[in-house]
Amino acid sequence: MNVELRFFATFRQAVGRKVVEREFPEGTTIGEVLYELEEEYDDLSGQLIEDGELRPHINVLKSGREALHLDGMETVLEDGDRLSIFPPVAGG
Amino acid sequence: MSDLSLDATQLDRYSRHIILDDVGPEGQKRLLEGSALVVGAGGLGAPVIQYLAAAGVGRLGIVDDDVVERSNLQRQVIHRDADVGRPKAESAEEFVADLNPDIEVEAMERRIAPEEARNLVADYDVVVDCTDNFPTRYMLNDACQIEGVPLCHGAIYKFEGQITTLSPDGPCYRCLFPEAPEPGTVPDCATTGVLGVLPGTVGCLQATEAVKVLLGLGETLTGRLLFYDARELSFETVPYQRNPDCPVCGDDGIDDLAGVDYDGGCGVASD
Repeated sequence: MNVELRFFATFRQAVGRKVVEREFPEGTTIGEVLYELEEEYDDLSGQLIEDGELRPHINVLKSGREALHLDGMETVLEDGDRLSIFPPVAGG
Repeated sequence: MSDLSLDATQLDRYSRHIILDDVGPEGQKRLLEGSALVVGAGGLGAPVIQYLAAAGVGRLGIVDDDVVERSNLQRQVIHRDADVGRPKAESAEEFVADLNPDIEVEAMERRIAPEEARNLVADYDVVVDCTDNFPTRYMLNDACQIEGVPLCHGAIYKFEGQITTLSPDGPCYRCLFPEAPEPGTVPDCATTGVLGVLPGTVGCLQATEAVKVLLGLGETLTGRLLFYDARELSFETVPYQRNPDCPVCGDDGIDDLAGVDYDGGCGVASD
């Protein structure tokens, strides 16, 4: 299945682009994708997951719905989903 | 509503509001009787202060502990070359006095301390977060939630902005991001650079929200986070919900700021 990964602010910088299209096996969870991203991009390492949970400093949306209010890391992705991953920013 | 009436000069100055549907003379009176606390008189604060003063928001609190630097002038449009070295709060106060004599300014040349945050925000109808650091942002969120004051949030990074409005009935900023990144992990404008016009766009959206809050007009960004991307010139809005476990606005949320570690990750101590 195809999932569109979207990165904002410092995460976009870590990945080098805003949007990455990626194929995943059916049944892949948000947690599995985040582990894969931490593995793949050095600057994302340690930024997304803490003690097996979403870090409290980030927000993850599955097609516009917060992962926190779905099944968190266990949320199963579907074909065509957009996974948006963003940190807070502080500049003013 | 008091019996404040508009004089001839005010009828002229605010005529485009007064003839506007859904604002009118009553709305203009609300603005003139209203108050806003603008925290930060830098990139975001500059357009917010400009537009709230121009709109006739009668009492403006302006808080900033910095002085104007020459490198600020590329985006902080209320400060001038001659202001370099002056406190930003003082320069901002002078800007407002020159723009609109109707406005009473309370300039505060300091950083807000946790001990005073609740009393300070409670003295205003709306707070606009134009700061450049996480500790003050989390403190304003927490204080405004506890005191029931709406908070118009805006933040920038290089070419991107995030804007939302945090209403007293939630959700709050900690529903989006429960804790701040560790100090030093998210670089600031001085480190990364910032497109000069970016805070102009983001600050104008915050000012729009503040004016709407004061007027009770339209739909605010409550429960919606707006991403602005200047490079693509795109806007994207995503909904977010109250987190029942939120340490501030959740079912067991805090009712004072004493247990919050604003010098660290802004974590809330659990009982």
